[in-house]
Amino acid sequence: MDRSELWNTAGSIDSVYCGSGVDGKGLRCVVFFSGCNLRCPFCHNPETLFKGGEQIRAGELAERLMKYKPYFRRGGVTLSGGEPFLQKKFLLSLVDLLHAQGIHVLAETNGQIADGEILSVLDGVIVDIKNQEGEDLSVYRRFIVECGRHNISVQATCVLVPGKNDTPAKIAELARLLKNIPFQFLPFRKLCAEKYENLGLVFPYAGIEECDENALKNAENIYKSVVFDK
Amino acid sequence: MQTVFNKGSYETNIDVRDFIQKNYTPYTGGAEFLSGPTERTARLMDKINGLLKAESEKGGVLDVDTERVSSLLTYPAGYVDRENEIIVGLQTDAPLKRGVNPFGGIRMARQACEAYGFKLSDKVEEEFSYKTTHNDGVFHVYTDEMKAVRHAGLLTGLPDAYGRGRIIGDYRRVALYGVDRLIAEKEKDRRAYGKKQMSEENIRTLEELFKQIDFLKKLKEMALLYGIDISAPATNAREAIQWTYFAYLAAIKEQNGAAMSLGRVSTFFDIYIERDMRDGLLDEKGAQELIDDFVMKLRITRQLRTPEYNDLFGGDPTWTTESLGGMGEDGRTLVTRTSFRMLNTLYNLGAAPEPNLTVLWSEKLPEPFKNFCAKVSIDTDSIQYENDDVMRPIYGDDYGIACCVSAMKIGKQMQFFGARCNLAKLLLLSLYGGKDEKSGKQLGPEGESFKGVLSYDKVRAAYSKYIGWLCNLYVNTLNVIHYMHDKYAYEKIQMALHDTEVERFLACGVAGLSVAVDSLSAIKYAKVTPVYNEEGIICDFRTEGDFPKYGNDDDRADRIAVELLEEFSACLKETPAYRNAKHTLSVLTITSNVVYGKKTGATPDGRAAGDPFAPGANPMHNRDVSGALASLNSVAKLPYDCCRDGISNTFSIVPSALGQDREDRAENLCDLLDGYFGQGAHHLNVNVFDREKLVLAMEHPELYPNVTIRVSGYAVNFHKLSRAHQLEVLKRTYHGRI
Repeated sequence: MDRSELWNTAGSIDSVYCGSGVDGKGLRCVVFFSGCNLRCPFCHNPETLFKGGEQIRAGELAERLMKYKPYFRRGGVTLSGGEPFLQKKFLLSLVDLLHAQGIHVLAETNGQIADGEILSVLDGVIVDIKNQEGEDLSVYRRFIVECGRHNISVQATCVLVPGKNDTPAKIAELARLLKNIPFQFLPFRKLCAEKYENLGLVFPYAGIEECDENALKNAENIYKSVVFDK
Repeated sequence: MQTVFNKGSYETNIDVRDFIQKNYTPYTGGAEFLSGPTERTARLMDKINGLLKAESEKGGVLDVDTERVSSLLTYPAGYVDRENEIIVGLQTDAPLKRGVNPFGGIRMARQACEAYGFKLSDKVEEEFSYKTTHNDGVFHVYTDEMKAVRHAGLLTGLPDAYGRGRIIGDYRRVALYGVDRLIAEKEKDRRAYGKKQMSEENIRTLEELFKQIDFLKKLKEMALLYGIDISAPATNAREAIQWTYFAYLAAIKEQNGAAMSLGRVSTFFDIYIERDMRDGLLDEKGAQELIDDFVMKLRITRQLRTPEYNDLFGGDPTWTTESLGGMGEDGRTLVTRTSFRMLNTLYNLGAAPEPNLTVLWSEKLPEPFKNFCAKVSIDTDSIQYENDDVMRPIYGDDYGIACCVSAMKIGKQMQFFGARCNLAKLLLLSLYGGKDEKSGKQLGPEGESFKGVLSYDKVRAAYSKYIGWLCNLYVNTLNVIHYMHDKYAYEKIQMALHDTEVERFLACGVAGLSVAVDSLSAIKYAKVTPVYNEEGIICDFRTEGDFPKYGNDDDRADRIAVELLEEFSACLKETPAYRNAKHTLSVLTITSNVVYGKKTGATPDGRAAGDPFAPGANPMHNRDVSGALASLNSVAKLPYDCCRDGISNTFSIVPSALGQDREDRAENLCDLLDGYFGQGAHHLNVNVFDREKLVLAMEHPELYPNVTIRVSGYAVNFHKLSRAHQLEVLKRTYHGRI
C-alpha cells in the first residue's frame, strides 16, 4: 500500500482515551475499536460490541494520537475494543503510520484471531483469557503458539468473576496455559451497569457480586503456587 | 580553618545569585543519603501537633493578641520549646497566637477578632481612629462604578482591605551580607537619590528608602530580642538559616498579605551546609535537623482573617511558597542535596500544605530528582510543579514563585497583586446589555439585551466591547488600590530586601475561563436561546445540540480560550498602570472558584446558577471526557506569553489509574510532567488520591486528620475546607480508568 492508501484506510472506532497508566507500560492512549466477535457476559465495554461508532481514516486517527507523543517516553498506543483484530486492514495501516513516527503499539485482544500478519507488526499483545463460562482453552493455546512464532511479547489478563472462574481447578488450568507469561487478574466490576442501561442492553452478569480484594488475593496465591510448582 | 567561599562580584554588589553560582554544588544523585527525624525533631513536632490540634478544636484560631498591633518589635521573644529549638522566632510571644494587623483596614481586623470570640482592644481602636488605613484610602477614592463592579462580583478578591502580599523579599540577603551592609547600601542609594530632581516620584522613593532603612534597623533589634546579633553575615549553616528566617519573620510580622512567599532558599542554604559538612562541623542528621526545624517554624505562621476571607481562600493558607530545583542558565542543575532535604520534611514531619513546596520542573532535571519528586507527590500530595523551561528564559535562574504561580526575579521584581475578573459573569453582562444578571442593575454602558437564538458573531462583538470597558476599569481600580497601599501600608522590610530600582508588575487575573469558553462554544456550535424571567432578567438558557468543550484537546473549543486570553491581555495594556508597572495576567482562582460561581447566574454552557466554576485554567468538572492527557493538552495550549502571571491547572488522579505499583506510578508521573511541560504548559498541581478515601475523609475527618490535597496552586488540609469546597473537590474530575 502506498502512503495515501494507508492514510485513507477507513475504520470504525468507538472512542480514544488519552492517558491510561494501566494498558501496557508507560502512559498510553487507548483506541477502542468498534465491533466484537464475542459476547462475554461480563463485558465492561458494551458500547464497543457492535460495529458502528465513529468512522475514521487511519491517517486522521494517527494524527490525533501523535499529539500525545510527548508523553510516550515509555508508553505509546494501545489498540483495544471491541476486537481490534477484526479490522485487519485498518489496524495494519494505523500501526504502519504510528511506527513511522516511532510510536510503540500494543493491542488488547480476545485471542480468537491468531493472525500472524497482524501479530508480526505489533510491539506486543495483551490477551484476555475468557474462561468464565467454558473450560476449553485450546484457542488461546493456538494464539500463544502463534505469538511465539512471531516472537512477539505477550501478556495475559483474565477477569476474575466470583462463582465463575475462581475455583482452584480453573485457576490451575489457567496457570498451566500461561506458564511464565506475565499475567494479571482483573477483578470483576459492575461500574459498566449504567452503560448497559443507556444502551438498552441486558447486562448478563448484573446479578453477580463484584470481586473483592480477598477473592483477588486468594486467586493470585493459587495461581502463583501452580506456576512456581512447575 | 573554615573553608573560604569562592570570590565573585557578589562581594562588591548585592547579588545573591552570583554568590550561589560561584559556590553551590549541584547534586545529580538520588534520595538514599537522606536522614529521618532526630528524636529532638520528633519531640518538637509532637508538641506542635498538639498545638495544631488545640487550634483546630477551638474553631481554627488558638489565640489572638488584641492589645497590640503586630510589627517587628511589638512582642517579646516567643518560643515553642526554648531548650529544644534550633531555629528561633515566632510572630507573637506564643506559638499560633495571632497578631492584629489593622494597617490594611481596621474593620477587617475588628471583624476577624469578633468572629473568633475576641474583642479588639480599645487601645488599638483608639490608636487607629487617628490613622488612615489602606482600606480608608482606597474608599476615599473609589468611584461609584468601581464600587458597583466590586459589589456585584465582577471584580473579586481585590486587596483593598488587607495586605496585598505576593511580594518576595530576598530574605537570603540578610544571611549573606548581614544587616549593616544592607543598610549601608540603602544609604548609598538614598544619597544618590538626594542628588536628583525632587519630583513627586523621587520624593516618594526617598521616603520609602527612609522607611526601608528604619525597618532594617528594627530587624536587627528584633533579632536581638532573641539574643542574636545579625548585623554581620552568617558564618555557618545554622546562622544562615536563622538570619534568613528572621528576615522572613519580620516580613510576616509587618504584613498580612494573602501570600507571603519565601522565595528560593534551599540551594542557598545548601552552600553553607556543604561547607559545614566539609569542615566537619555538621553531619547529614544535623543538616536535616536544621531544615526540619526551619520548616516547623514555617508551618506555624498565621494571619488573622475573617471567616469571609476563608470562604474565598479555603484552608487558612499563607502561601509560604518555596521554589525548588530548576536549571541554571549555564546548564548545571540548581538541584542540591538541600532540595531533597526540603522535600524530605514531608516525610520527617508528616505531609502538610505549608510551606508551599514548588518544584521548578525542567526536562533536564536530574532523573533521580524527578523520580523522588514524583514519589513525594504520590505519597503526600503536597507539591506543585511549574515549568522552569518556560520561565527561565524570561526570569533568569534566580526567580521565585509568589503565591501559587507568580514568577519574579528575587529581590529585583515585585508585583501589585490584582486578584481577578469574573469572565463568565462578564459574558452574562454582555448578553444583558451591561446589566448584572443577579440584580438587574446597570453596571456597564448600556447595550443590546439579546433575545432569541444567539448569534455567535454578535455575542462575541458585544463581549469584546465589555471586555474593553472592564479592562480599563479594572486597571484603574488596581491603580487606586496600589497607590493607597504604597501610601498607607508600604512593605518596608520586604522592599528593603529588594534592589532600590525594582521592576513592577500589575498582576491582573481572570476566573471562570472554562465556563466562558464552553458558553461561547455552545453559542457557536449549538443553538442557545436566553430565557427571561418575569422581571425581564435572563435567568437561564435553552441549549439545543452538542458543542465542543474545553478540555478535550479539541481546537474548536481550545482556540476560543486562547483568543479570549490574548484579547483580555492586550486590552489590559491599553490603560497605563501605576508606577509604570508591566501588566501581567493569571488564570488562577485558588479555591475562590466556589464563591465566584455562587455570584454568577446560569450560563449558556448548561451550568446552573450558583454552581462552582472550575478552578484556575481547569476544564469544567466532568466535561473533559477524552482522558487525562487530552485535558492536559487543552490547558497546555493556553499561551504563557500573554499570561505571565501564571496558568494554574489542578490535576487529580487515582493511584490505581496512574500505574500498577509505586515505581511504575512514579515513572508515569514523570512522563506526564515531561509531556505536559514539554508543550510549554506552565503549572500543574498533582493530587494522587483515591476518591473513596477522600469521601471517607470528608465523612470521618477523625480518621484522616491530615489529608493534604492540592487545590489550584497550593496545598490545603482537606478538613480546613468548607463543606462546599470539599464537595467541589470531589466533583472535580478524577481521571481514572479502572
